[in-house]
Amino acid sequence: MKPGRRVQKKEKTKQAILKAALELFPAKGFYATTTKAISKKAHIAEGTLFNYFETKEDLALYFLEEELSGVMEWHLANRRLENADIAENLFAIIQHLLERLEPYEEFIGAVYMRALSPTSKLSPFSFESQDRHLRYLRFIREILLEAEADGEIPPVGDFGAYAVGLFQLAILTHWLQDKSRGKEQTLALLDRCLKMATHFLRNGGWNW
Amino acid sequence: MELVKTSQKSGALRRGLRIGKLGFGLVGSYLGYQAQNLLLSESGKAQRRARFQKKASQQVSAELGALKGAAMKVGQLLSMQSGVFPEETLRELAALQMHAPGMHPTLARAQFKAAMGKFPEDVFREFDPQPFAAASLGQVHRAITRKGEKVAVKIQYPAIRSAIENDFKVVRSATFAPQLTGHLPTAAIDEVQRGIMEETDYVNEAKNLNYFREQLKNIEWVTVPRVYEEFSSDRTLTMSFVEGRSLGSFLETKPSQQVRDLVGARLMELFEIQAVHLKTLHVDPHPGNFLFQPDGSIGMIDFGCVKRFTLDWSELRRFYDEWGWRENEAAERRFLKIICGPKAPYEKARKILPDFEEWLELIHPRGSGDLFFGRKREPGLEKKIQAARNRCARRIFQNKWINPEYAFLSRADVGLYFLLEQLGAVVNISEIARRVEAGQKTSKAIAS
Repeated sequence: MKPGRRVQKKEKTKQAILKAALELFPAKGFYATTTKAISKKAHIAEGTLFNYFETKEDLALYFLEEELSGVMEWHLANRRLENADIAENLFAIIQHLLERLEPYEEFIGAVYMRALSPTSKLSPFSFESQDRHLRYLRFIREILLEAEADGEIPPVGDFGAYAVGLFQLAILTHWLQDKSRGKEQTLALLDRCLKMATHFLRNGGWNW
Repeated sequence: MELVKTSQKSGALRRGLRIGKLGFGLVGSYLGYQAQNLLLSESGKAQRRARFQKKASQQVSAELGALKGAAMKVGQLLSMQSGVFPEETLRELAALQMHAPGMHPTLARAQFKAAMGKFPEDVFREFDPQPFAAASLGQVHRAITRKGEKVAVKIQYPAIRSAIENDFKVVRSATFAPQLTGHLPTAAIDEVQRGIMEETDYVNEAKNLNYFREQLKNIEWVTVPRVYEEFSSDRTLTMSFVEGRSLGSFLETKPSQQVRDLVGARLMELFEIQAVHLKTLHVDPHPGNFLFQPDGSIGMIDFGCVKRFTLDWSELRRFYDEWGWRENEAAERRFLKIICGPKAPYEKARKILPDFEEWLELIHPRGSGDLFFGRKREPGLEKKIQAARNRCARRIFQNKWINPEYAFLSRADVGLYFLLEQLGAVVNISEIARRVEAGQKTSKAIAS
C-alpha cells in the first residue's frame, strides 16, 4: 500500500528539517544550534518545527532512525556481500554505518553523551527508541539466521542479535574516541573481534 | 578437539597466557595478533606441525622462547647483528616474513580508503577484491588503472605498525634490567625497532624501489616495478605489475638445466652488483623476493628491507681467494678488522683463523681454480662443511666481536646460496665476481 499524499508530504518536511539541522550542527554544534535557526534554514515557521519534532533529541532520534534504515537498505542492495561469511557481513554493516556517520561525528558525539542519561529519549533503553531498536535487531537476527542455516555458526537465538547490537554500540564508542588516521584502529578492532567471536562460536567456546 | 600433541596444546595455551599476562590489547599488539592467529588459522595447523617437527625450527623455538611472529623477526634481526645462529637456523629465519591477519574484501576496501581517502573502485578501472599474494604486514591485489596499466596494489593491515610500536614499549619495560646491566644494549633494541618500522613503511619501500629501478635500468633481464606515487602512501603501495612465477611454481615448469644455470648466474650477478657497486642490498635473497620467467628474466619484488653498508665486498673476496691474511701481520689485521670489526682486540680475534681456514679449505681449497656453486661434491663433504662452518660461527660468537656488516652480508650470502641450491643451478662464482668487479655488466655473454 502506497503511503498517502499527506504522509508523503509530512515525510518530506521532516527530511527538510533534518537536512537543515545537519547543515547547522557541524558549524555550531548540537547544543548551540537553536530550533529557531533550524526552522529558518528549513524555510518553515518555528511552530511548525515543533509539530514534527518536540525537541532536538527527537530530531537526533529521527536522524539515527534514518541512518539505520539506510544501512538496512544498503545491505539489501549490496551484491558484493553475497558470498561473504558472517564475520565479513557484520563487519560491512557496522563499517558502513560508521562511514555514513563520519560527516556528523561531532554531532554524534554530542548525541551519544546525551544518550547516556537514562531519562533521555535517546537512551537505548528509552521507550521512544525501542521501535527503532527492535527493527534493527530483527534485521541483524535475519543475518544471523542465514549464517546459522549455512552452518557458519551454531544457533545463537535472539541473544546473538542483542550481543551484536551491544557490540555495535561499543564499536561506536571506540570510533568516537579513535584518533588514528582514517580511524584504522577501529577497523582493526572490528575485524579482530568479529573473527574471534565467530571462531569461538564455531568451535563451541574456548575449546582451542 | 585435539591439537597436534599435548605438549603443543599446552604450548599454545601458555603462549596465550603469557601474552595475556603482559597485558597486550586486542588491537594494540602485534604479538596479540600472532597469538590470535595461532587460534584462528585452521589450515595452518598441518603446516605448523610440519614446521614444529623440523629440527632447525625447534632450535629456533627453544632459543626464542616459543613466541612466534614479531619475536621471531626480532630474533632474525638480532641474528643478523650477532651471527648467533648456525646456517640451517639462518635459513629457517630467512624464510620468515612479518605476517598480518588476512583481510576480507570489505576490510581491504575500507583500509584502502582509510589510507588513500577514496575507495579502490573510485581510483582504478578494475580492482580485484581477492588478494593474490601476502606482503609484509598486508596483502597484494591486482588492479588496472584508468589508463589501462596493470598494477599490483599492496595494502597494509590497519593500525598494525602502531601495534608493533606498542609491543616494543612492552619489550623495553620488560628488559629494563638487562638494559641497565648492559647485557642487552638499548641501542640494539633501537636498531631492531628501527629496522622493523622501516621495513613496514611503504613510503620507504617506494624510495627503495625508485633507487633500484634507476640503478639497474641498464640490465635488460631485470625488472624492478615502477611506483605509482599517486596511488601510494605509507600503508598502500601501487606498483607496475611484474610478470613471472615464484620459485616454486617456476620449478614446477621443469626449466632446463641451461635455464637454471642462467637464472642462477644472474642471481649471483645481481648480488655481486649490489654488494660491490651499489653497496646497497635488496635484503634477504629469499625465494619470495624474486619472480622468474621462462627466458631467464628476473623480477625483483618486495623492497621493504634494504640495507646500505660500507664494507668492501671485493676486498673480502680477494682475501678469500688468496688467503691474503697469511701474507703479513698488516694483512691479517686488516682481514680481522673486516670480520670482527675495528674494536676487536687483535690477539683475541685471530683465534678464529684456524677454524676459518679449515672451513675455507673444505669449500674452496687453495689453488683449485674457480669456485663453482652446485658442482657435485664427494659424499660426506657437505656435512663436514656444515660442521666446520658452525664451529667457525660459534668461535666468532664466543669472541663476541663481529662486524655487524660482515654478519649481515654473510647472512645474505647464505640466503643466496640457499636460493641457488633450490634452483639446482651450477654457477661459476669466481668468474662472475671477476666480471662484476671489472665493471662489465653482461649476462648476455652467459646467455649466449
